[in-house]
Amino acid sequence: MFGLNKIIPTNSNYDFMKLKNYFIYLSIFLIVISVFLLSFRGLNLGIDFKGGTLVEVTTKTSDIGELRSVLSPQFNDVSLQEFGNSQTIIIRLQNNSNEESIETINKVKDLINDKVEEFRRSEFVGPTISSELLWKGLQAISFALIAILFYIWLRFEWQFGFGAVVALTHDVLFTLGVLSLLKIDFSLASIAAILTICGYSINDSVVVYDRIRENLRKYKKLDMKELFNISINNTLSRTVMTSLTTLIALFSLYFLGGEVIRPFAFAMVIGVIVGTYSSIFIAVPTLLLFQFRPQDDE
Amino acid sequence: MKNYPLWKSLIVFLVIFSGIIFSIPSILYQEDTENWFLENKINLGLDLQGGSYLLLEVQSDVLFKEELENISDSIRLISRNFQINLTDINIQDDQISFRFMNSLKLEDIRKEFMKNYNNVNIVINNNILKVIINDNFKKSIRESALKQSLEIVRKRIDESGTKEPLIQRSGKNRILLQLPGVKDPERIKELLGKTAKLTFHMVDDEDQTSLHSNKAPFGKLIVSDFYDSTTKYLVEKKSRVGGENLIDAKGSFDPQQGHAVSFRFDTTGAQKFGKATSENVGKRFAVILDGVVITAPVINSAITGGSGIITGNFTSQEAADLAVLLRAGALPAPLEIIEERSVGASLGSDSIDAGKIASIIGMIFVCIFMILIYGIFGLLASISLIINLFIIIALLGIIGATLTLPGIAGIVLTIGIAVDANVLIFERIKEEFSKKTKTLSAIKNGFDKAMSTILDANITTLIASLLLFVFGSGPIKGFSITLSLGIFASMFSAIMFTNFLVYLWFSFSKKKEINL
Repeated sequence: MFGLNKIIPTNSNYDFMKLKNYFIYLSIFLIVISVFLLSFRGLNLGIDFKGGTLVEVTTKTSDIGELRSVLSPQFNDVSLQEFGNSQTIIIRLQNNSNEESIETINKVKDLINDKVEEFRRSEFVGPTISSELLWKGLQAISFALIAILFYIWLRFEWQFGFGAVVALTHDVLFTLGVLSLLKIDFSLASIAAILTICGYSINDSVVVYDRIRENLRKYKKLDMKELFNISINNTLSRTVMTSLTTLIALFSLYFLGGEVIRPFAFAMVIGVIVGTYSSIFIAVPTLLLFQFRPQDDE
Repeated sequence: MKNYPLWKSLIVFLVIFSGIIFSIPSILYQEDTENWFLENKINLGLDLQGGSYLLLEVQSDVLFKEELENISDSIRLISRNFQINLTDINIQDDQISFRFMNSLKLEDIRKEFMKNYNNVNIVINNNILKVIINDNFKKSIRESALKQSLEIVRKRIDESGTKEPLIQRSGKNRILLQLPGVKDPERIKELLGKTAKLTFHMVDDEDQTSLHSNKAPFGKLIVSDFYDSTTKYLVEKKSRVGGENLIDAKGSFDPQQGHAVSFRFDTTGAQKFGKATSENVGKRFAVILDGVVITAPVINSAITGGSGIITGNFTSQEAADLAVLLRAGALPAPLEIIEERSVGASLGSDSIDAGKIASIIGMIFVCIFMILIYGIFGLLASISLIINLFIIIALLGIIGATLTLPGIAGIVLTIGIAVDANVLIFERIKEEFSKKTKTLSAIKNGFDKAMSTILDANITTLIASLLLFVFGSGPIKGFSITLSLGIFASMFSAIMFTNFLVYLWFSFSKKKEINL
C-alpha cells in the first residue's frame, strides 16, 4: 500500500554474521566508555536517591537570577534550574538532617513567596529513605535479571539465557552510560525505565531466539552462521516495525508528555534503540560461543 | 464466519462490550459518586490530582530510653532499701549498667527487681549490674507505639478537617499518609510534629539549692520554661494528673489572659486534680507540655470541678491547635517526617492533559504508520489498538487501581508495544503468503506460529513489570500496573480480536489474495 511498505525489509538477505565482528568491537568500545563514565563521572542522582529537597515554582517575572540572589546567601548548596520554560523553576537543596530539611521547605517558601506565582510541587527525601530507595531499585534490577535468565533457561536452552542476559546487560550499561554522559537526572522513574528496557531488550532477543530454535529443527544440516543469518532476516521486519511503533509512542511521550516524564521517555528511547541493535548484533553472535550441534540436535 | 468458532466470537464480543462500557465512568465522569456503576472509575494518584504524601517514622528509641529510665529509678529505689551505695549509672542504646560500691547484695537486688520486670536480661559482673532490654520487649514496645501513634495520627488528621485521608502503617515503625487535595501540608506537619504529652506537676519552690546547682534530687526533675529557657522549675518527677484524663479541650479567649485553652477532666482526672489542688493551696503547679513548662500558676483554692484553663502567650491559632492536640491525645513517641512529596493541583492537571495528548497523538501516529505499512491489516490492527486502550482503562477502573504519572507513561508505552503481537502475526502471514500458501490457511498458520513467540516475548516483559510492582514505591507501582494490564490487554486484542477482525474481513471481501 502506497509503496511505503518497502521501507520495512521483506525477504531480506543481509549477511549480519559477516559484519558481527565490527559490531562486537563497537559494542565493547561503547561499553568500556559507559563503564568508565559510570565509575568516574557517575550518575546524576536525583533527590530520590541522594536525599534532599526540591521545590518547583512558577515565577511572576521569569527571572531566575532574582530567585538565585535571594536563595544563594541563605543556603550553601542550592541549585536553580529552568524547567521546560523560563517561568518554571526547579530549586534543589542538598541534604542536612531530617528535621532541618523539613524546615528547609518552609524557609525557601517564605524567602521567595512574593516572587512566586505558584508552588507547583515540593519534595523532601530523608537520608534513610533515599538509601532504601536506591537499594530497592538495585534489588529490583538484579532480581529481574535473574528471573528473566531463569525463564529463558526454562523455555530455551541455557545458552540462550546467557546470550539474552549478555545483550540485556549491554543495553542497560549503554543506557546508563548515556544518562551519565548527558547528566540526566536519575530518579525512581529511571529505575522503572531501566527495568522496562530489560523487558524490551529480552522481548526482542526472544523473538529472534524463537526463530533460531525453530530453524534449528527445520534446517538440520545448515551451518550455524548461515542459520543465524536466516533467522535474523526472517524476523528483521518485525524487529524494525515494533521498534518504530514503540519509538513513535515514546517520542510522543517525550515531546508532549510534560517535563516531569521527559527523562523517563529519553532513557526509554535510548534503551529501545540499543535493545533493537543488540538483539541482532549481540544476542545472536553470543550464541556462536556455544556448540548447539550435534548434541542438541533433536 | 465459519472459520471462527462461535464461542470465541462470543468471548470477543463480551470483552469488548464490557471494556467499552466500563471505561465510560473513567472517561466521562470526574466527580465522585455513590452509584455502583460509576464507582468503577480510575482513582487518580496524588501526583495527578494534587495532594501531599508524608512518611513518618515513630522514634521508638525514645521509648527504650524512657523504659531504661524507669528501670534506673526502680533499681535506685531497691538499692536504697538494701542500703548499698550506687556509684555510677550508664545508659547505652538498649542497656543500662549500675556500678555499686561492692558486689555483696547484687543477687538480692536482682531478685527484687525481677519481681516487676520479666522482659529484660540481667548480667552481674563483679560489682556491676547490667540490665538489657531484650528483643521481644523492644518489639512489643515498638509495636504498641506504632499502633497508638496510628490512632492518634488518625484523630489529629480528622480534627484538622482533611478530606479522605489515607493513613496506614508501613513496615515496622512507619506511618504512611496520603492527603488528597492538601497542597501545603504545613499545618498537618505542625500537628504531627508535637507529641503533645501534657502533665501537671507540683513545683518545689523551697529547694533552691538543687535548682541553682542544676542537679535534681531523687524523685525531682528540673524543667525549663517554654518561653524563656533560662527560667527553670524544680518539679516532682511523678505527675499528679496527665493528658490521658482529659475528655475535652477547646480554644477560648479570656479578656485578661488572652487566648487560652480550656479543658475538662474525666471523673478520675477531676478527683486527682481536686486532691492535688486542695492539698497544695498556696503552692504552684506546672503545666508541662512535651518537656517544657507552659505555665506554672499558684493554686489559690482547691479546684474540684474538674475543669480549668491553660494560659500562655498563645495566638488564637496556637490555642486552637493545642486544643486539637489535647483532644486527640499524646503520641507515645515523637514522629519524624522522613519523606514528603506535595503536588499542587495545577501541576497535576497539567500532567493529566499532557498525558492525554501524548497518548492520543502517539496512538494516531502508530495507527497511521501501521496502515501505511500493512494496509487493510494495519487498519484492523489499529481498531484492535483502540479497543485495547478501552480495555486497559476499564480494567484500571474495575480493579480500582490508582493512575499515576508514570502510569500514564506506561499506557503510552503500551500503545507502542501493543502492536508488536499484531506485527508478529502479520509478518508470519506474509511469510506464509510468500510460500504460496492458500489465503485462509496462510492466516491460520500465521496466527498459530506466532503464538509461542508472542507468549515468550510478553511473559519476559511481564516479569520485569511485576518486579517493579514488588520493589517500586508509590507512583512507580502505577507504572507497573498499567504496563502489566497493557500487556494482558494487548495479548487479548492481538490474539483474539485482530484474529476475529481478519476472518471477518475475509468472509466479507471474499478475496483470494491479499497485498500485505
